[in-house]
Amino acid sequence: MKFATRTKLEIFVEAHAVDEIERMLRDVGFKGCSVFAGVEGAGSHGAWRQTGVEEAGMRLVVTIGAEEAAEAALHWLENYFAAYPGVVAMSEVKVLRAERF
Amino acid sequence: MGALESIVAGAATNLVAPAVLFFALGAIAGWLKSDLTIPEQAAKTLALYLMLCIGFKGGVEARASGLTAELVSAGGFGLVLSFAAPFAAYAALRGFGGLDRVTAAATAAHYGSVSVVTFAAGSEYLRAIGIEFGGYMAAVLALMETPAILAALLIAGAPGSKPDSAQSARFKSTLWREVFLNGAAVVLIGSFVIGVMSGERGMARLDLFVNALFQGALCLFLLDMGLVASRRLAEAPKLNVRLIAFAISWPLLSAGVALLGAQALHLSLGDASLLAVLSASASYIAAPAAMRIALPKADAGVYLSLSLGITFPFNLLVGIPLYHAAARLLYG
Repeated sequence: MKFATRTKLEIFVEAHAVDEIERMLRDVGFKGCSVFAGVEGAGSHGAWRQTGVEEAGMRLVVTIGAEEAAEAALHWLENYFAAYPGVVAMSEVKVLRAERF
Repeated sequence: MGALESIVAGAATNLVAPAVLFFALGAIAGWLKSDLTIPEQAAKTLALYLMLCIGFKGGVEARASGLTAELVSAGGFGLVLSFAAPFAAYAALRGFGGLDRVTAAATAAHYGSVSVVTFAAGSEYLRAIGIEFGGYMAAVLALMETPAILAALLIAGAPGSKPDSAQSARFKSTLWREVFLNGAAVVLIGSFVIGVMSGERGMARLDLFVNALFQGALCLFLLDMGLVASRRLAEAPKLNVRLIAFAISWPLLSAGVALLGAQALHLSLGDASLLAVLSASASYIAAPAAMRIALPKADAGVYLSLSLGITFPFNLLVGIPLYHAAARLLYG
C-alpha cells in the first residue's frame, strides 16, 4: 500500500460557527471536511448536553490536508477562539489516495 | 364566586392540567436522575409542530376577525414592551443581581423576548376556563421575539467582538440570519401567513393535525422541558439568591406593566391575560441562539438557568393563573 503523510485538524465548535469554518477551510486550501454532531461532554465551563430545546449544539469538524493549509487554519482559529468557545487539535496522519487531500 | 375563590379555583385547574403534570413528571424524573430522555430531534420536531399549530390557528382566526384595532394596538404595545424591557432588566441585573455587563445584557434579552411554550400553556389554560382571546395574539407573540435581542445588542455594544474585519462581516451576516430567519421565527410567522391565506377551508383540512393532536404534543414537549429544566437547575451552582429573586419577581413586574397597558388600550380580558403571559415569559430558544453568536463571553449557565430553570416553571405552575387572576381583578 502506498501511504502519504498529511495533517489532520479536529475542530470542536458551537454549531453556529460551522458554515464560517467550512468556508475558511476551503479558503486556506482544504479540499473537504466532515462534520459530526456532539451529544454531551464536559469542559472548562462544566458539563454540557445537547437537547432539543436550548440549541447548545456542538460540532466536530474533521479535515485532512497539507500542513501549510493546517497552519493557515490554525492562525484563523486562534483569532476565532479569542472570542468564541471551542478547541482544535492537529496531528500527522498517513492516508491512502493522497490526491484526495 | 368571590375573587379569591375564583383565583384559587383557577390555580387548581392549572395545576392538574395534563400539560403541567407532564412537566412536573419530567422535572421529577430529571431530579431523580432517571434515564428518561426525549431524543433531540424528536424534541426539535415537537417544538416546530407546536409553532406551526400556534401560527396556523392564529392566522385562521386573524383572517376571520380581520385587521382590527386590537391587533394593531396589542402588536404595537407588544413591540414596545419587548424592546424596552431589556433596558430595565439590564439595570436590575447589574445593580441588584451583580452580573457583569455582558452576561447582564444577554440575560436581559431573554427576559424581553418571549417563550412560545409558555404562550401555548397560557392559551390552553384560558381555553380550559372558557376565556376567549384573539387569534392575532399569535402574531403578537411573533412580533415580541426579536426586539429584545436587538435591544440587548445595543446595550452591550455588539456585534464587534471578533478581531478580524473579514470575520466580523461574516459574523454579522450569521447573527442577523439567526435573529430574523431562525427556524422558529420562520415556522411561526410562515404558519401564521399560511393560516391567513387558507382561512377556514385550510383549517377544515388540518383540523385533526393542529387541534386534536396539539394537547398530546404539548404534554410530550413539556415532559422534555421538565427534564431539561431540572437538569439545567442542578448544574447551576452560580445562581445566587438575588438572581433567583429576579427570575421570579421580574415576570410579576412585567405582567403588571402589560396588564396596565392592555387595560389602557381597551384590550379584551383574554388578550390582556395573554399579553401578560407573553411579557412575563422568558425566551430559551431564539434568545440563547442569538446570544451565543452576539455575546459569546456572556455566561450561558446564568441566562439559561434563570429563564429555563426558574422563570419557565414559575410561569407554568403559578404565573399563568396568577396573571389571569390579576387581569380579572383589574377588569372588575
